[in-house]
Amino acid sequence: MSGWRLVARAQPRLRIDARVLQPAALAGLSRPEVERVTLRQGRDAVPLAELFDIERIEASTTARLVVEGDLSRFDHLGWCMSEGELQVRGSVGDYAGAAMAGGRMTIAGHAADLAACAMRGGWLEVSGDVGDLAASALPGEMDGMRGGTFVLRGSAGTRLADRMRRGRVVVFGDTGDFMASRMVAGTVALAGRCGAHPGWGMRRGSLVFAGFVPEVAPTFTPVHSNADVFWQLLARDLASFGGPFASLAQRRLRRYAGDLAVLGKGELLMPE
Amino acid sequence: MRLLQRRALAAVGLYRAGRVMQINGVAIDDTFAEAFAMKATRIVVTAHNERWALHAGVSATGFATSVIACGCEAGIERALAPHETPDGRPGVALLLFATSGKELARQIERRVGQCVLTCPTTAAYAGLAEGESVALGKNLRFFGDGWQASKVIGGVRYWRVPVMDGEFVVQETTPVIKAVGGGNLLLLCSSTDAALAAAEAAVAAMRRVPGAIMPFPGGVVRSGSKVGSKYASLIASTNDAFCPSLTRLAPRSELDDSVRCVLEIVIDGLSESAVAQAMRAGIAAVVARGAAGGALRISAGNYGGRLGPFHFHLRALAGAAS
Repeated sequence: MSGWRLVARAQPRLRIDARVLQPAALAGLSRPEVERVTLRQGRDAVPLAELFDIERIEASTTARLVVEGDLSRFDHLGWCMSEGELQVRGSVGDYAGAAMAGGRMTIAGHAADLAACAMRGGWLEVSGDVGDLAASALPGEMDGMRGGTFVLRGSAGTRLADRMRRGRVVVFGDTGDFMASRMVAGTVALAGRCGAHPGWGMRRGSLVFAGFVPEVAPTFTPVHSNADVFWQLLARDLASFGGPFASLAQRRLRRYAGDLAVLGKGELLMPE
Repeated sequence: MRLLQRRALAAVGLYRAGRVMQINGVAIDDTFAEAFAMKATRIVVTAHNERWALHAGVSATGFATSVIACGCEAGIERALAPHETPDGRPGVALLLFATSGKELARQIERRVGQCVLTCPTTAAYAGLAEGESVALGKNLRFFGDGWQASKVIGGVRYWRVPVMDGEFVVQETTPVIKAVGGGNLLLLCSSTDAALAAAEAAVAAMRRVPGAIMPFPGGVVRSGSKVGSKYASLIASTNDAFCPSLTRLAPRSELDDSVRCVLEIVIDGLSESAVAQAMRAGIAAVVARGAAGGALRISAGNYGGRLGPFHFHLRALAGAAS
Protein backbone atom coordinates (compact mmCIF):
# COMPACT_ATOMS: atom_id res chain seq x y z
CA MET A 1 0.00 0.00 0.00
CA SER A 2 1.32 3.40 -0.90
CA GLY A 3 0.51 6.90 0.23
CA TRP A 4 1.21 10.52 -0.44
CA ARG A 5 2.99 13.34 1.30
CA LEU A 6 1.68 16.81 0.59
CA VAL A 7 3.73 19.83 1.67
CA ALA A 8 1.90 23.15 1.55
CA ARG A 9 3.76 25.72 -0.52
CA ALA A 10 2.18 28.81 1.03
CA GLN A 11 -0.88 29.76 2.94
CA PRO A 12 -3.77 30.40 0.52
CA ARG A 13 -5.36 33.84 0.48
CA LEU A 14 -8.84 32.40 0.95
CA ARG A 15 -10.09 29.43 2.89
CA ILE A 16 -9.89 26.03 1.26
CA ASP A 17 -12.34 23.17 1.62
CA ALA A 18 -10.00 20.20 1.98
CA ARG A 19 -12.55 17.42 2.40
CA VAL A 20 -11.29 15.59 -0.68
CA LEU A 21 -7.95 14.88 0.99
CA GLN A 22 -8.82 11.31 1.91
CA PRO A 23 -6.03 8.74 2.35
CA ALA A 24 -7.95 5.88 0.78
CA ALA A 25 -9.19 7.92 -2.16
CA LEU A 26 -5.74 9.26 -3.05
CA ALA A 27 -3.83 6.04 -2.43
CA GLY A 28 -5.03 4.43 -5.63
CA LEU A 29 -4.26 7.38 -7.87
CA SER A 30 -1.20 8.02 -10.01
CA ARG A 31 0.87 11.17 -9.57
CA PRO A 32 -0.80 13.03 -12.48
CA GLU A 33 -4.18 12.11 -11.14
CA VAL A 34 -3.27 13.31 -7.66
CA GLU A 35 -1.95 16.56 -9.09
CA ARG A 36 -5.26 17.15 -10.88
CA VAL A 37 -7.40 16.57 -7.79
CA THR A 38 -9.11 19.87 -7.05
CA LEU A 39 -9.97 21.55 -3.78
CA ARG A 40 -12.84 24.02 -3.49
CA GLN A 41 -11.87 27.58 -2.72
CA GLY A 42 -15.05 29.56 -2.60
CA ARG A 43 -16.50 29.24 -6.10
CA ASP A 44 -13.20 28.14 -7.59
CA ALA A 45 -11.50 24.78 -7.81
CA VAL A 46 -7.76 24.70 -7.24
CA PRO A 47 -5.62 21.75 -8.38
CA LEU A 48 -3.66 20.06 -5.65
CA ALA A 49 -0.41 20.67 -7.50
CA GLU A 50 -0.88 24.43 -7.15
CA LEU A 51 -1.09 24.19 -3.38
CA PHE A 52 1.28 21.37 -2.45
CA ASP A 53 4.53 19.72 -3.33
CA ILE A 54 3.54 16.12 -3.83
CA GLU A 55 5.67 13.12 -2.98
CA ARG A 56 4.84 9.42 -2.95
CA ILE A 57 5.58 7.57 0.30
CA GLU A 58 5.42 3.96 1.28
CA ALA A 59 2.75 2.86 3.70
CA SER A 60 2.36 -0.44 5.50
CA THR A 61 -1.08 -1.96 5.32
CA THR A 62 -3.40 1.03 5.29
CA ALA A 63 -3.66 3.96 2.95
CA ARG A 64 -1.66 6.86 4.31
CA LEU A 65 -1.69 10.57 3.65
CA VAL A 66 0.68 13.05 5.24
CA VAL A 67 -0.09 16.75 4.95
CA GLU A 68 2.44 19.30 6.17
CA GLY A 69 2.57 23.05 6.57
CA ASP A 70 0.39 25.84 7.87
CA LEU A 71 -3.05 24.52 7.10
CA SER A 72 -4.99 26.91 9.29
CA ARG A 73 -7.03 28.04 6.27
CA PHE A 74 -7.82 24.46 5.29
CA ASP A 75 -11.22 23.37 6.59
CA HIS A 76 -12.90 19.97 6.63
CA LEU A 77 -9.65 17.99 6.73
CA GLY A 78 -10.63 14.37 7.35
CA TRP A 79 -14.30 15.12 6.72
CA CYS A 80 -16.29 11.84 6.66
CA MET A 81 -13.03 9.89 6.55
CA SER A 82 -13.78 6.20 6.90
CA GLU A 83 -10.45 4.42 6.52
CA GLY A 84 -6.72 4.89 6.29
CA GLU A 85 -4.37 7.14 8.15
CA LEU A 86 -4.26 10.91 7.81
CA GLN A 87 -1.31 12.64 9.44
CA VAL A 88 -1.35 16.42 9.60
CA ARG A 89 1.84 18.19 10.61
CA GLY A 90 0.69 21.71 11.28
CA SER A 91 -2.38 23.56 12.47
CA VAL A 92 -5.68 23.15 10.65
CA GLY A 93 -8.90 25.08 10.19
CA ASP A 94 -12.49 24.28 11.13
CA TYR A 95 -14.26 20.94 11.04
CA ALA A 96 -11.10 18.82 11.35
CA GLY A 97 -12.16 15.19 11.53
CA ALA A 98 -15.81 16.18 11.43
CA ALA A 99 -18.26 13.37 10.64
CA MET A 100 -15.32 10.99 10.63
CA ALA A 101 -16.46 7.36 10.53
CA GLY A 102 -13.25 5.34 10.70
CA GLY A 103 -9.51 5.31 10.28
CA ARG A 104 -7.02 7.37 12.20
CA MET A 105 -6.28 11.08 11.98
CA THR A 106 -3.57 12.86 13.92
CA ILE A 107 -2.94 16.57 13.98
CA ALA A 108 0.42 17.77 15.23
CA GLY A 109 -0.78 21.30 15.82
CA HIS A 110 -3.95 23.14 16.66
CA ALA A 111 -7.42 22.80 15.19
CA ALA A 112 -9.99 25.56 14.98
CA ASP A 113 -13.71 25.25 15.74
CA LEU A 114 -15.94 22.22 15.37
CA ALA A 115 -13.16 19.62 15.38
CA ALA A 116 -14.55 16.09 15.64
CA CYS A 117 -18.09 17.36 15.46
CA ALA A 118 -20.60 14.70 14.44
CA MET A 119 -17.75 12.19 14.55
CA ARG A 120 -19.10 8.64 14.18
CA GLY A 121 -16.05 6.42 14.47
CA GLY A 122 -12.30 6.14 14.15
CA TRP A 123 -9.62 7.91 16.11
CA LEU A 124 -8.80 11.61 16.06
CA GLU A 125 -5.88 12.94 18.05
CA VAL A 126 -4.89 16.61 18.30
CA SER A 127 -1.63 17.46 19.97
CA GLY A 128 -2.42 21.16 20.33
CA ASP A 129 -5.58 23.06 21.22
CA VAL A 130 -8.98 23.10 19.58
CA GLY A 131 -11.55 25.87 19.33
CA ASP A 132 -15.18 25.90 20.35
CA LEU A 133 -17.78 23.22 19.85
CA ALA A 134 -15.36 20.35 19.40
CA ALA A 135 -17.06 16.93 19.39
CA SER A 136 -20.38 18.68 19.20
CA ALA A 137 -23.12 18.71 16.58
CA LEU A 138 -22.99 20.11 13.09
CA PRO A 139 -24.88 23.38 12.92
CA GLY A 140 -28.57 22.57 12.76
CA GLU A 141 -28.17 18.93 13.79
CA MET A 142 -29.52 17.43 17.00
CA ASP A 143 -26.72 14.94 17.76
CA GLY A 144 -23.11 15.70 18.48
CA MET A 145 -20.27 13.22 18.41
CA ARG A 146 -21.78 9.75 18.16
CA GLY A 147 -18.84 7.35 18.09
CA GLY A 148 -15.09 6.95 17.94
CA THR A 149 -12.36 8.41 20.09
CA PHE A 150 -11.21 12.02 20.22
CA VAL A 151 -7.98 12.60 22.12
CA LEU A 152 -7.00 16.18 22.80
CA ARG A 153 -3.54 16.74 24.22
CA GLY A 154 -4.10 20.47 24.56
CA SER A 155 -7.12 22.49 25.63
CA ALA A 156 -10.58 23.05 24.19
CA GLY A 157 -12.81 26.08 23.91
CA THR A 158 -16.40 26.30 25.02
CA ARG A 159 -19.16 23.77 24.48
CA LEU A 160 -16.86 20.78 24.13
CA ALA A 161 -19.01 17.69 23.50
CA ASP A 162 -22.23 19.66 23.27
CA ARG A 163 -25.08 17.22 22.49
CA MET A 164 -22.57 14.35 22.40
CA ARG A 165 -24.35 11.03 22.04
CA ARG A 166 -21.72 8.27 22.03
CA GLY A 167 -17.95 7.71 21.93
CA ARG A 168 -15.25 9.05 24.16
CA VAL A 169 -13.43 12.33 24.44
CA VAL A 170 -10.19 12.44 26.40
CA VAL A 171 -8.76 15.88 27.17
CA PHE A 172 -5.35 16.33 28.75
CA GLY A 173 -5.63 20.12 28.99
CA ASP A 174 -8.43 22.44 30.07
CA THR A 175 -11.84 23.15 28.62
CA GLY A 176 -14.03 26.22 28.45
CA ASP A 177 -17.52 26.81 29.76
CA PHE A 178 -20.44 24.46 29.23
CA MET A 179 -18.37 21.33 28.74
CA ALA A 180 -20.65 18.45 27.74
CA SER A 181 -23.70 20.66 27.76
CA ARG A 182 -26.89 18.92 26.66
CA MET A 183 -24.94 15.66 26.51
CA VAL A 184 -27.06 12.67 25.53
CA ALA A 185 -24.55 9.90 26.30
CA GLY A 186 -20.90 8.96 25.95
CA THR A 187 -17.82 9.67 28.01
CA VAL A 188 -15.73 12.80 28.46
CA ALA A 189 -12.58 12.46 30.56
CA LEU A 190 -10.78 15.62 31.58
CA ALA A 191 -7.34 15.89 33.11
CA GLY A 192 -7.22 19.68 33.44
CA ARG A 193 -9.63 22.34 34.59
CA CYS A 194 -12.99 23.17 33.09
CA GLY A 195 -14.99 26.37 32.89
CA ALA A 196 -18.41 27.03 34.33
CA HIS A 197 -21.44 24.76 34.08
CA PRO A 198 -19.94 21.38 33.18
CA GLY A 199 -22.65 18.94 32.21
CA TRP A 200 -25.29 21.63 31.92
CA GLY A 201 -28.50 19.98 30.75
CA MET A 202 -26.84 16.59 30.33
CA ARG A 203 -29.37 13.73 30.04
CA ARG A 204 -27.03 10.74 30.25
CA GLY A 205 -23.31 10.12 29.87
CA SER A 206 -20.27 10.27 32.11
CA LEU A 207 -17.90 13.13 32.84
CA VAL A 208 -14.67 12.05 34.48
CA PHE A 209 -12.65 14.70 36.29
CA ALA A 210 -9.25 13.11 36.72
CA GLY A 211 -7.45 16.09 38.15
CA PHE A 212 -9.87 18.85 38.99
CA VAL A 213 -12.97 19.06 41.12
CA PRO A 214 -15.46 21.43 39.50
CA GLU A 215 -18.20 23.31 41.25
CA VAL A 216 -21.20 21.01 41.11
CA ALA A 217 -24.46 22.62 40.11
CA PRO A 218 -27.44 22.21 42.45
CA THR A 219 -29.19 20.23 39.74
CA PHE A 220 -26.77 17.36 40.41
CA THR A 221 -27.20 15.11 43.41
CA PRO A 222 -24.56 13.01 45.20
CA VAL A 223 -24.88 9.23 44.86
CA HIS A 224 -23.22 7.21 47.61
CA SER A 225 -24.00 3.68 46.44
CA ASN A 226 -21.36 1.28 45.23
CA ALA A 227 -20.45 1.71 41.56
CA ASP A 228 -17.03 0.11 41.79
CA VAL A 229 -17.62 -2.46 39.07
CA PHE A 230 -18.58 0.09 36.46
CA TRP A 231 -15.80 2.39 37.63
CA GLN A 232 -13.19 -0.33 37.25
CA LEU A 233 -14.34 -1.03 33.70
CA LEU A 234 -14.25 2.62 32.76
CA ALA A 235 -11.06 3.49 34.64
CA ARG A 236 -9.16 0.56 33.14
CA ASP A 237 -10.25 1.63 29.69
CA LEU A 238 -9.13 5.22 30.30
CA ALA A 239 -5.87 4.04 31.84
CA SER A 240 -4.62 3.18 28.36
CA PHE A 241 -4.31 6.92 27.69
CA GLY A 242 -1.69 7.22 30.40
CA GLY A 243 -0.79 10.40 32.23
CA PRO A 244 -3.32 11.41 34.88
CA PHE A 245 -5.70 8.71 33.65
CA ALA A 246 -3.29 5.86 34.35
CA SER A 247 -4.03 5.68 38.06
CA LEU A 248 -7.81 6.15 37.95
CA ALA A 249 -8.57 2.54 38.82
CA GLN A 250 -6.70 2.88 42.10
CA ARG A 251 -8.69 5.91 43.19
CA ARG A 252 -11.99 5.89 45.06
CA LEU A 253 -14.96 7.32 43.29
CA ARG A 254 -17.19 10.24 44.19
CA ARG A 255 -20.26 10.42 42.01
CA TYR A 256 -23.02 12.91 41.27
CA ALA A 257 -26.10 12.18 39.17
CA GLY A 258 -27.77 14.77 36.99
CA ASP A 259 -28.67 17.02 35.38
CA LEU A 260 -31.95 16.73 37.24
CA ALA A 261 -33.30 19.67 35.26
CA VAL A 262 -33.61 17.18 32.43
CA LEU A 263 -33.49 13.36 32.47
CA GLY A 264 -30.90 13.21 35.23
CA LYS A 265 -29.24 9.94 34.23
CA GLY A 266 -25.86 11.49 33.58
CA GLU A 267 -23.06 11.44 36.10
CA LEU A 268 -20.07 13.44 37.22
CA LEU A 269 -17.29 11.09 38.31
CA MET A 270 -14.63 12.52 40.58
CA PRO A 271 -11.98 10.04 41.64
CA GLU A 272 -10.43 11.02 44.97
CA MET B 1 1.36 -51.44 27.52
CA ARG B 2 0.57 -54.82 26.05
CA LEU B 3 -2.01 -56.33 23.79
CA LEU B 4 -3.87 -59.45 24.86
CA GLN B 5 -6.42 -61.58 23.12
CA ARG B 6 -9.72 -60.80 24.81
CA ARG B 7 -12.56 -63.24 25.03
CA ALA B 8 -15.36 -62.10 22.80
CA LEU B 9 -18.27 -61.05 24.91
CA ALA B 10 -21.67 -62.43 24.31
CA ALA B 11 -22.93 -58.91 24.10
CA VAL B 12 -24.61 -58.03 20.87
CA GLY B 13 -24.59 -54.33 21.54
CA LEU B 14 -22.28 -51.74 20.15
CA TYR B 15 -19.14 -52.91 21.85
CA ARG B 16 -16.58 -54.24 19.42
CA ALA B 17 -14.76 -57.18 20.93
CA GLY B 18 -11.21 -57.78 19.88
CA ARG B 19 -7.64 -57.42 21.00
CA VAL B 20 -7.36 -55.57 24.26
CA MET B 21 -4.88 -52.92 25.19
CA GLN B 22 -3.76 -52.92 28.79
CA ILE B 23 -1.90 -50.20 30.61
CA ASN B 24 -0.87 -50.92 34.18
CA GLY B 25 -3.33 -53.77 34.09
CA VAL B 26 -6.24 -51.55 33.08
CA ALA B 27 -7.86 -52.70 29.87
CA ILE B 28 -8.68 -50.09 27.26
CA ASP B 29 -11.57 -51.19 25.11
CA ASP B 30 -11.27 -50.99 21.38
CA THR B 31 -14.12 -48.57 21.06
CA PHE B 32 -14.83 -44.90 20.85
CA ALA B 33 -16.85 -42.20 22.54
CA GLU B 34 -19.31 -40.63 20.19
CA ALA B 35 -19.97 -36.94 20.61
CA PHE B 36 -22.23 -34.52 18.85
CA ALA B 37 -22.34 -30.86 17.91
CA MET B 38 -23.65 -28.36 20.43
CA LYS B 39 -23.75 -24.61 20.84
CA ALA B 40 -21.80 -23.14 23.73
CA THR B 41 -20.76 -19.97 25.42
CA ARG B 42 -18.48 -18.95 28.24
CA ILE B 43 -19.70 -16.45 30.82
CA VAL B 44 -17.41 -14.79 33.31
CA VAL B 45 -19.06 -14.04 36.63
CA THR B 46 -17.22 -11.83 39.09
CA ALA B 47 -18.08 -10.82 42.61
CA HIS B 48 -16.78 -8.99 45.65
CA ASN B 49 -14.86 -12.11 46.63
CA GLU B 50 -14.36 -15.64 45.38
CA ARG B 51 -16.98 -17.05 47.73
CA TRP B 52 -19.80 -15.02 46.23
CA ALA B 53 -18.58 -15.62 42.70
CA LEU B 54 -18.72 -19.32 43.45
CA HIS B 55 -22.20 -19.04 44.93
CA ALA B 56 -23.40 -17.44 41.71
CA GLY B 57 -21.52 -19.91 39.54
CA VAL B 58 -22.80 -22.97 41.38
CA SER B 59 -26.32 -21.65 41.28
CA ALA B 60 -26.23 -20.68 37.59
CA THR B 61 -24.88 -24.07 36.57
CA GLY B 62 -27.19 -26.03 38.82
CA PHE B 63 -29.70 -28.48 37.35
CA ALA B 64 -27.70 -28.52 34.14
CA THR B 65 -26.46 -32.08 33.93
CA SER B 66 -28.05 -33.18 30.70
CA VAL B 67 -29.86 -31.58 27.80
CA ILE B 68 -32.33 -34.44 28.03
CA ALA B 69 -34.32 -32.58 30.66
CA CYS B 70 -32.34 -29.59 31.90
CA GLY B 71 -32.33 -27.45 28.79
CA CYS B 72 -28.57 -27.14 28.85
CA GLU B 73 -25.43 -28.67 30.25
CA ALA B 74 -23.28 -26.34 32.27
CA GLY B 75 -20.45 -26.23 34.71
CA ILE B 76 -17.78 -24.11 36.27
CA GLU B 77 -14.75 -24.28 34.01
CA ARG B 78 -12.41 -22.76 36.56
CA ALA B 79 -11.93 -20.02 39.12
CA LEU B 80 -10.47 -16.76 37.83
CA ALA B 81 -7.96 -14.61 39.63
CA PRO B 82 -8.62 -10.86 39.81
CA HIS B 83 -6.11 -10.11 37.09
CA GLU B 84 -8.01 -12.38 34.70
CA THR B 85 -11.38 -10.63 34.94
CA PRO B 86 -12.60 -7.42 33.26
CA ASP B 87 -13.29 -5.62 36.55
CA GLY B 88 -10.32 -6.87 38.55
CA ARG B 89 -12.35 -8.92 40.99
CA PRO B 90 -12.30 -12.67 41.61
CA GLY B 91 -14.58 -14.67 39.40
CA VAL B 92 -15.51 -17.93 37.82
CA ALA B 93 -15.74 -18.97 34.19
CA LEU B 94 -18.94 -20.82 33.36
CA LEU B 95 -19.48 -22.94 30.28
CA LEU B 96 -23.00 -23.55 29.02
CA PHE B 97 -23.91 -25.99 26.25
CA ALA B 98 -27.22 -26.57 24.50
CA THR B 99 -28.39 -28.35 21.42
CA SER B 100 -29.38 -25.14 19.64
CA GLY B 101 -28.42 -21.50 19.78
CA LYS B 102 -32.01 -20.56 20.51
CA GLU B 103 -32.27 -22.85 23.52
CA LEU B 104 -28.87 -21.72 24.74
CA ALA B 105 -29.96 -18.08 24.55
CA ARG B 106 -33.04 -18.94 26.58
CA GLN B 107 -30.99 -20.76 29.20
CA ILE B 108 -28.41 -17.98 29.47
CA GLU B 109 -31.06 -15.39 30.12
CA ARG B 110 -32.92 -17.55 32.59
CA ARG B 111 -29.86 -18.63 34.55
CA VAL B 112 -28.08 -15.28 34.61
CA GLY B 113 -31.33 -13.56 35.45
CA GLN B 114 -32.25 -15.85 38.30
CA CYS B 115 -28.87 -16.87 39.66
CA VAL B 116 -26.34 -14.13 38.88
CA LEU B 117 -28.42 -10.97 38.88
CA THR B 118 -29.86 -12.10 42.21
CA CYS B 119 -26.53 -12.91 43.84
CA PRO B 120 -24.97 -10.06 45.86
CA THR B 121 -22.15 -8.04 44.26
CA THR B 122 -21.94 -10.04 41.05
CA ALA B 123 -21.34 -8.89 37.48
CA ALA B 124 -21.47 -10.94 34.30
CA TYR B 125 -19.37 -10.70 31.15
CA ALA B 126 -18.91 -12.60 27.93
CA GLY B 127 -15.97 -14.97 28.15
CA LEU B 128 -15.47 -15.61 24.44
CA ALA B 129 -14.06 -13.17 21.94
CA GLU B 130 -15.86 -14.27 18.80
CA GLY B 131 -19.05 -15.98 17.76
CA GLU B 132 -22.66 -15.31 17.03
CA SER B 133 -23.94 -12.86 19.63
CA VAL B 134 -26.89 -13.71 21.83
CA ALA B 135 -28.40 -11.65 24.59
CA LEU B 136 -26.71 -11.68 27.97
CA GLY B 137 -27.92 -8.51 29.64
CA LYS B 138 -29.78 -7.14 26.65
CA ASN B 139 -33.18 -8.10 28.03
CA LEU B 140 -32.26 -8.45 31.70
CA ARG B 141 -31.75 -4.70 31.70
CA PHE B 142 -35.48 -4.16 31.78
CA PHE B 143 -35.41 -5.28 35.39
CA GLY B 144 -34.14 -1.75 35.95
CA ASP B 145 -37.63 -0.44 35.21
CA GLY B 146 -36.31 2.52 33.26
CA TRP B 147 -33.47 3.34 35.66
CA GLN B 148 -31.04 1.12 33.79
CA ALA B 149 -28.25 2.80 31.84
CA SER B 150 -26.00 1.55 29.11
CA LYS B 151 -22.35 2.32 28.65
CA VAL B 152 -20.04 1.50 25.79
CA ILE B 153 -16.53 0.97 27.13
CA GLY B 154 -13.76 -0.12 24.82
CA GLY B 155 -16.28 -0.92 22.12
CA VAL B 156 -18.30 -3.21 24.40
CA ARG B 157 -21.77 -2.30 25.58
CA TYR B 158 -22.59 -2.89 29.22
CA TRP B 159 -25.81 -2.39 31.13
CA ARG B 160 -25.96 -0.98 34.62
CA VAL B 161 -29.08 -2.11 36.40
CA PRO B 162 -29.82 -0.51 39.79
CA VAL B 163 -30.23 -3.16 42.49
CA MET B 164 -30.36 -2.99 46.25
CA ASP B 165 -26.61 -3.45 46.82
CA GLY B 166 -25.61 -0.91 44.18
CA GLU B 167 -25.81 -1.88 40.55
CA PHE B 168 -25.64 -5.04 38.50
CA VAL B 169 -23.23 -4.62 35.60
CA VAL B 170 -23.74 -7.01 32.73
CA GLN B 171 -22.39 -7.14 29.21
CA GLU B 172 -25.09 -6.79 26.59
CA THR B 173 -24.32 -9.91 24.58
CA THR B 174 -22.20 -13.02 24.67
CA PRO B 175 -20.81 -14.90 21.67
CA VAL B 176 -22.04 -18.42 20.98
CA ILE B 177 -19.84 -20.88 19.14
CA LYS B 178 -20.08 -24.41 17.82
CA ALA B 179 -18.94 -26.92 20.42
CA VAL B 180 -18.79 -30.60 21.16
CA GLY B 181 -20.93 -32.43 23.69
CA GLY B 182 -21.16 -35.98 24.87
CA GLY B 183 -17.55 -37.10 25.10
CA ASN B 184 -17.46 -39.83 27.70
CA LEU B 185 -15.48 -42.42 29.58
CA LEU B 186 -16.88 -45.50 31.27
CA LEU B 187 -14.84 -46.71 34.21
CA LEU B 188 -15.46 -50.38 34.91
CA CYS B 189 -14.26 -51.23 38.39
CA SER B 190 -14.19 -54.00 40.92
CA SER B 191 -16.01 -52.12 43.67
CA THR B 192 -17.87 -48.94 44.48
CA ASP B 193 -14.91 -47.57 46.41
CA ALA B 194 -12.55 -48.27 43.53
CA ALA B 195 -14.91 -46.73 41.00
CA LEU B 196 -15.40 -43.57 43.03
CA ALA B 197 -11.67 -43.21 43.60
CA ALA B 198 -10.90 -43.72 39.92
CA ALA B 199 -13.61 -41.32 38.84
CA GLU B 200 -12.54 -38.65 41.30
CA ALA B 201 -8.95 -38.90 40.13
CA ALA B 202 -10.03 -38.69 36.52
CA VAL B 203 -12.30 -35.70 37.09
CA ALA B 204 -9.59 -33.88 39.04
CA ALA B 205 -7.22 -34.31 36.10
CA MET B 206 -9.85 -33.38 33.53
CA ARG B 207 -10.81 -30.19 35.33
CA ARG B 208 -7.36 -28.84 34.60
CA VAL B 209 -8.13 -28.88 30.88
CA PRO B 210 -9.31 -25.47 29.61
CA GLY B 211 -12.50 -25.31 27.61
CA ALA B 212 -14.08 -28.47 29.00
CA ILE B 213 -16.57 -29.29 31.72
CA MET B 214 -17.98 -32.44 33.25
CA PRO B 215 -21.61 -31.39 33.87
CA PHE B 216 -22.80 -34.18 36.19
CA PRO B 217 -22.62 -34.08 39.99
CA GLY B 218 -18.97 -34.14 40.95
CA GLY B 219 -18.30 -34.66 37.25
CA VAL B 220 -19.54 -38.24 37.46
CA VAL B 221 -22.74 -39.98 36.38
CA ARG B 222 -23.91 -43.38 37.54
CA SER B 223 -27.04 -43.52 35.42
CA GLY B 224 -25.53 -43.75 31.99
CA SER B 225 -28.27 -43.93 29.44
CA LYS B 226 -29.00 -45.37 26.05
CA VAL B 227 -31.21 -43.79 23.47
CA GLY B 228 -34.84 -44.92 23.62
CA SER B 229 -36.80 -47.20 25.89
CA LYS B 230 -39.34 -49.95 25.79
CA TYR B 231 -41.73 -47.25 26.96
CA ALA B 232 -42.69 -45.03 24.07
CA SER B 233 -42.83 -41.87 26.14
CA LEU B 234 -39.19 -42.06 27.20
CA ILE B 235 -36.39 -40.82 24.98
CA ALA B 236 -33.64 -42.37 27.11
CA SER B 237 -33.36 -45.23 29.55
CA THR B 238 -30.76 -47.04 31.60
CA ASN B 239 -27.66 -48.27 29.83
CA ASP B 240 -28.36 -51.92 30.61
CA ALA B 241 -25.21 -53.04 28.81
CA PHE B 242 -23.13 -51.53 31.61
CA CYS B 243 -25.31 -52.27 34.65
CA PRO B 244 -23.52 -54.82 36.87
CA SER B 245 -26.83 -55.94 38.28
CA LEU B 246 -27.81 -57.11 34.79
CA THR B 247 -24.54 -58.85 33.86
CA ARG B 248 -26.11 -62.25 33.51
CA LEU B 249 -29.58 -60.98 32.72
CA ALA B 250 -29.46 -58.37 30.00
CA PRO B 251 -28.67 -59.75 26.55
CA ARG B 252 -26.74 -56.59 25.72
CA SER B 253 -24.51 -56.77 28.77
CA GLU B 254 -20.87 -55.99 28.16
CA LEU B 255 -19.73 -56.86 31.65
CA ASP B 256 -18.35 -59.91 33.28
CA ASP B 257 -18.54 -60.95 36.91
CA SER B 258 -15.42 -59.06 37.93
CA VAL B 259 -17.04 -55.70 37.23
CA ARG B 260 -19.16 -54.63 40.18
CA CYS B 261 -19.48 -50.90 39.60
CA VAL B 262 -19.40 -48.68 36.50
CA LEU B 263 -19.24 -44.91 36.55
CA GLU B 264 -19.32 -42.59 33.58
CA ILE B 265 -17.73 -39.22 33.04
CA VAL B 266 -19.39 -37.04 30.42
CA ILE B 267 -17.39 -34.25 28.85
CA ASP B 268 -18.54 -31.17 26.96
CA GLY B 269 -15.92 -28.99 25.34
CA LEU B 270 -15.61 -25.80 23.38
CA SER B 271 -13.75 -27.75 20.72
CA GLU B 272 -13.05 -31.29 19.65
CA SER B 273 -9.51 -30.97 20.90
CA ALA B 274 -10.66 -29.82 24.35
CA VAL B 275 -12.81 -32.93 24.70
CA ALA B 276 -10.00 -35.15 23.47
CA GLN B 277 -7.54 -33.53 25.82
CA ALA B 278 -9.88 -33.98 28.76
CA MET B 279 -10.52 -37.63 27.91
CA ARG B 280 -6.78 -38.19 27.55
CA ALA B 281 -6.18 -36.64 30.95
CA GLY B 282 -8.91 -38.78 32.49
CA ILE B 283 -7.57 -42.00 31.01
CA ALA B 284 -4.06 -41.14 32.14
CA ALA B 285 -5.26 -40.50 35.68
CA VAL B 286 -7.11 -43.82 35.87
CA VAL B 287 -4.36 -45.97 34.38
CA ALA B 288 -1.79 -44.26 36.58
CA ARG B 289 -3.59 -45.79 39.55
CA GLY B 290 -3.36 -49.16 37.82
CA ALA B 291 -5.45 -52.28 38.18
CA ALA B 292 -4.41 -52.48 41.81
CA GLY B 293 -6.63 -49.46 42.38
CA GLY B 294 -9.62 -51.46 41.26
CA ALA B 295 -10.13 -50.04 37.79
CA LEU B 296 -10.46 -53.02 35.45
CA ARG B 297 -11.48 -51.52 32.15
CA ILE B 298 -12.06 -48.21 30.47
CA SER B 299 -14.77 -48.13 27.87
CA ALA B 300 -16.92 -45.52 26.21
CA GLY B 301 -20.45 -45.08 24.95
CA ASN B 302 -21.33 -44.77 21.33
CA TYR B 303 -24.24 -45.34 19.03
CA GLY B 304 -22.42 -46.96 16.19
CA GLY B 305 -21.52 -43.63 14.68
CA ARG B 306 -25.14 -42.65 14.17
CA LEU B 307 -25.34 -39.98 16.85
CA GLY B 308 -22.61 -37.51 16.06
CA PRO B 309 -19.61 -36.78 13.90
CA PHE B 310 -17.03 -36.66 16.68
CA HIS B 311 -15.44 -40.02 17.49
CA PHE B 312 -12.87 -40.25 20.24
CA HIS B 313 -11.08 -43.56 20.00
CA LEU B 314 -9.94 -44.69 23.42
CA ARG B 315 -6.86 -46.52 22.30
CA ALA B 316 -5.56 -43.59 20.35
CA LEU B 317 -6.14 -41.35 23.35
CA ALA B 318 -4.66 -43.90 25.74
CA GLY B 319 -1.64 -44.35 23.54
CA ALA B 320 -1.04 -40.63 23.55
CA ALA B 321 -1.69 -40.47 27.27
CA SER B 322 0.76 -43.21 28.11
